[in-house]
Amino acid sequence: MEMNFTKLNYYEMLDVKPDVAFFEIRHAYNAALQMYQADSLVSYSFFSQSERKEILTLLEKAYLTLNNEKERQDYDNDLIRLGILTEAAKKSPSKMPVSIFDINRDQCKTGGLKNTDAEFRARIAANERIEKILAKQEIRGGDLKVIRNELAVPLEKIAQKTKVRIDYLRSIEEENIEALPALVFLKGFIKSYLKCLCIEPLDEIYSRYINCLAGLGKKS
Amino acid sequence: MAHIWPIGGGKGGSGKSFLTSALGRLMAGSGKRTLLIDLDLGAANLHTLVDIPYPAKSLSDFVKKKFPLLENVVLETPVPNLFLISGANDTLDIANLPYEQKIKTLRAIAKLGYECILLDLGAGSSFNTMDFFLISQNGIFIATPEPTSIENIHRLIRSIYFRRIRQCFTVMEFKELEGEVVNVFGDGSFNKPECMMQMVKKNHPEIGLKLAGDFTGYRFKLILNQLRKQDDAALGGQICRLIEKHLGLKVEFAGNIAFDDHVHDAICQRVSFLDRYPYTRTACDVRELSNHIISSAGDQLQINYS
Repeated sequence: MEMNFTKLNYYEMLDVKPDVAFFEIRHAYNAALQMYQADSLVSYSFFSQSERKEILTLLEKAYLTLNNEKERQDYDNDLIRLGILTEAAKKSPSKMPVSIFDINRDQCKTGGLKNTDAEFRARIAANERIEKILAKQEIRGGDLKVIRNELAVPLEKIAQKTKVRIDYLRSIEEENIEALPALVFLKGFIKSYLKCLCIEPLDEIYSRYINCLAGLGKKS
Repeated sequence: MAHIWPIGGGKGGSGKSFLTSALGRLMAGSGKRTLLIDLDLGAANLHTLVDIPYPAKSLSDFVKKKFPLLENVVLETPVPNLFLISGANDTLDIANLPYEQKIKTLRAIAKLGYECILLDLGAGSSFNTMDFFLISQNGIFIATPEPTSIENIHRLIRSIYFRRIRQCFTVMEFKELEGEVVNVFGDGSFNKPECMMQMVKKNHPEIGLKLAGDFTGYRFKLILNQLRKQDDAALGGQICRLIEKHLGLKVEFAGNIAFDDHVHDAICQRVSFLDRYPYTRTACDVRELSNHIISSAGDQLQINYS
């Protein structure tokens, strides 16, 4: 029940679990220093001078060992050999620091497009109906919608990925010329839409669609 | 059976009496029959805090056998449901209560029929204070975030630990034990209860087992009082961790109470701080603590001397 600090292993000294990541060890060491430092209010008068010195030396040794990848590995192996630690408790490889700047990190979670481009391409190639549409000289908004539905991609996802307003996307599909933006913008939007669905060849399909649209309206 | 909360703290002026009266008022306010006992023998002033400037009876009257039962010296306070055993106008030698009378008092306290009993203990770590503290497992330590107070609280906790071990042995046995501890652990180690405990476990396994059971059963709490803005709010938790790690005693950190000059004003005006300044940070802290203490009381597991 009553502890002898010198007999604890390094993990117990720092109050951490054996599977912690390196940055947590540093936090734990800082927290321990706050408790045991000579000017700390927490342990004021709790230890004699020599006891405190001994504890601080041990803590430093524990920190330096655990913070060094190789030494920590050696120390862990020693503990496992002594039966203090089990192999399973030691490592959980999933626990690593995550970069906050990793922009790809959330993509799977937030319902962005999971399917890779390659998957789309394979599905387009395998789908007869899409192939038939792509073979046509005239490509209409409705055709694009059919392709999208065949690939089972909701319009919201395209809007999310391309950052094009959803009402523009809808107008592209519905050929609602009044609602469409000016041609310079429209060109980019259509290409984004096609690119998002991996419809190829991009420029070819674009010009077929835009020609068709030009035939319809006077605006473009 | 009553819940007994002894409230102690090594240093004077850390707010033991204030906290006792405030907790008492809150418990009484929630409809529990609550009794405050002023056990700060020789320096009693709890009666002033609950607005009884001239108490008619006091604990001395029971100790000196003027009244046969402890119930006879209970005073009613102006607060409904709140009762007081005062220590005012004690005999001048009350501070050094002889052992038999202390045991008699402890037994009488354990038998009282109230829902909540709060003991206001004195500063320091005299035998009286420690024995009264060990009457129940729900002891509450109170300290202020200053080195002087922290030093005394560490000292008090160690002394109480030590005292509990001491209670299990006769004088001769204990002397022997002390000698052995010094032999094994070196000079000065008889002052370390953790070394003592190891020796007890080795030499007297059955007593060691009983004591270990006692120590795990204790639900001591620590409260930090008079926390100013610039003080570290995490201090209490760290102290508890230190005590658990090095003494093996579980002390739960119950919470901080903010510093407020209005406490001084309320005491000077002799009114209840909680009624006079109910919306201050300090009053909120005390109310929260009171709820926590009542809800975590659980069952009174055992009372020594009953």
